[in-house]
Parts: sequence; C-alpha cells; structure tokens
Amino acid sequence: MSLKPPVGVQRLPRGPDPNSRGFDRSSPRFIALCPTSIPSSASTGPGIEEEQRVRSELRERFLRTLLMMTDKPVQFNMYEKVQVPARFGASDIDILNFQVSDLETPLGVQKEALLWCQDVISCSFEL
Amino acid sequence: KWRDMNPLEWREFIHHEVCVTACDEQRFEGSVFTVDPVSASVVLVTFQETDRASVRVILGHAVKEVRILRSGSEETERRMKRLIVPDTTPSLCPEELQSRRENLRLWLERNRFPVTEDGQDLRVASVLTISAPYRPEDCSCTNEIILARVQSLVQNKQYAPTITDDIT
Repeated sequence: MSLKPPVGVQRLPRGPDPNSRGFDRSSPRFIALCPTSIPSSASTGPGIEEEQRVRSELRERFLRTLLMMTDKPVQFNMYEKVQVPARFGASDIDILNFQVSDLETPLGVQKEALLWCQDVISCSFEL
Repeated sequence: KWRDMNPLEWREFIHHEVCVTACDEQRFEGSVFTVDPVSASVVLVTFQETDRASVRVILGHAVKEVRILRSGSEETERRMKRLIVPDTTPSLCPEELQSRRENLRLWLERNRFPVTEDGQDLRVASVLTISAPYRPEDCSCTNEIILARVQSLVQNKQYAPTITDDIT
C-alpha cells in the first residue's frame, strides 16, 4: 500500500434529514435495494431443503472470500473506467456497502471511506 | 436474468471456467469459486503457476452474462477447496486431541458453561459446538453473542496454564 499522506476529510453541507442519505436504513434508496425476503423456487418438500443447503454452501464460500479480502489491498473497478485502490475493511450483510481504508482517489487519499456497492462493478485482489 | 436464478442454477457454474460480461461490456475470465445467493455476485479465481491466485468479485448488479468456456479440472476443484480450509495446522495425534478436549471442557466448566462430549466434539450449553482441534475458529453456533463469548474464552485458554487435577 502507498504511503501517501491522507487528505483532510471534506465535509459537504448536510443534506435534508435523515442524514447519511443512502446509507440510512429507512431511506427510500436503501429500501429499494435491500431485499426483505429471499424467493425460492420450491415452495415445500425435499426440494427446498436442497436449495437451502446449496444456498448456505454458496454463501459460506462468499463470506470466506470477504474474509480473504479483509485488510488486503484491493482494486475497485467502478463505473466510467474509474479504478481506485484501497484496503478492504468489511462489508455489510446485504453487500450494499463496503468499508475501506486508504482509498486512493484523484482528490487524494481518503483515510476511511464507505463505498456503495451499486457504484462498484468489480473488485480484485491477490492471494 | 442472472439475479433471478436460484441457488441450484448458480451452483452449476462452480469450478468451471467462465467469461463474465459486465454491464459496461468489460469481460472477465476465471474459474467460479462461488456465487453469492444474497447479491448474485460472482467470485472468479485465476490460479497462477506458483501457489498464488488472483480473485475477482463481480457485483451481482453488474453481471450481464455468464458463459461457460471450459469445464473445471479436478486440479482447479482441489485448489479451490484448499481456499476454503486455508489453515494448515499440524495434525495432532488422538491422545493430544483428547487431552486438549478435556482441558478445554474443564476450562469452560470453570467458567460456568455446561459442556457435554458429543463424539469428538464438545457441545456447550446445547447450542454451540467445538470440533477438533478446539481453537476459537472451530466453534460454531447460531447465536453470535454466545459464539463471541465462548470464542474469547477458548482464545484465553490457549494462554492460560494447563488445568491439572489438583486444582479442582
């Protein structure tokens, strides 16, 4: 990771309430993006057990991927061909926000930042 | 369409080499490690010659198309499974495991947790299971508060002196 000095956090004027805009769980944006239930193809019977088992297996692998990514330098590939490196911290449960450190932006290095996953196309790292 | 698939359909892609087309027409190739059922995100792994690997997570909302290029080889499958169990702790012999289990059981009981033996595992308060070799990461429980409490106890156990019979 680079040793560039971080820039001071620029605080823009606060928007209308509720604060934190799209990160707020009661905001229309969050509600629109966050699924409140998971659909399943099988309604009853043995099919649903198998589906649930596979769902758990897939999710466990994904959680382990996030664990592998933790504290590593990650390249975030955003829209408009924007590539920003940062150190990955954590994700929320719905994979809507990523917490990162030392985010290198064209404005300078942001010590701590939250990324909207909707803005991220992909991210990559080395093991 | 990708996001509407069910887990059984996503599972069909695992271990195979695919080409993922993203919404901005970028293409990514690699072997599928998993598809997150919550966000439909695809995790691709590309193994290098040495023990290194590159991992790319393509967020579900950005996936336009996933096309299988080649069937996954057994080698790929094996290397991927090793990613899931990265810990290469030296394997302990049955006597050592037995003694660790017993020591941990006594330690938990001294800390007021009811413990029973369930084969090789320890069952704590009927809700948490600790399997060999009885490290904090070997604890599993659906209650995160109990899990955190027991994990920190197990962690502390490693630095506490071994409990011998004359203490009780």
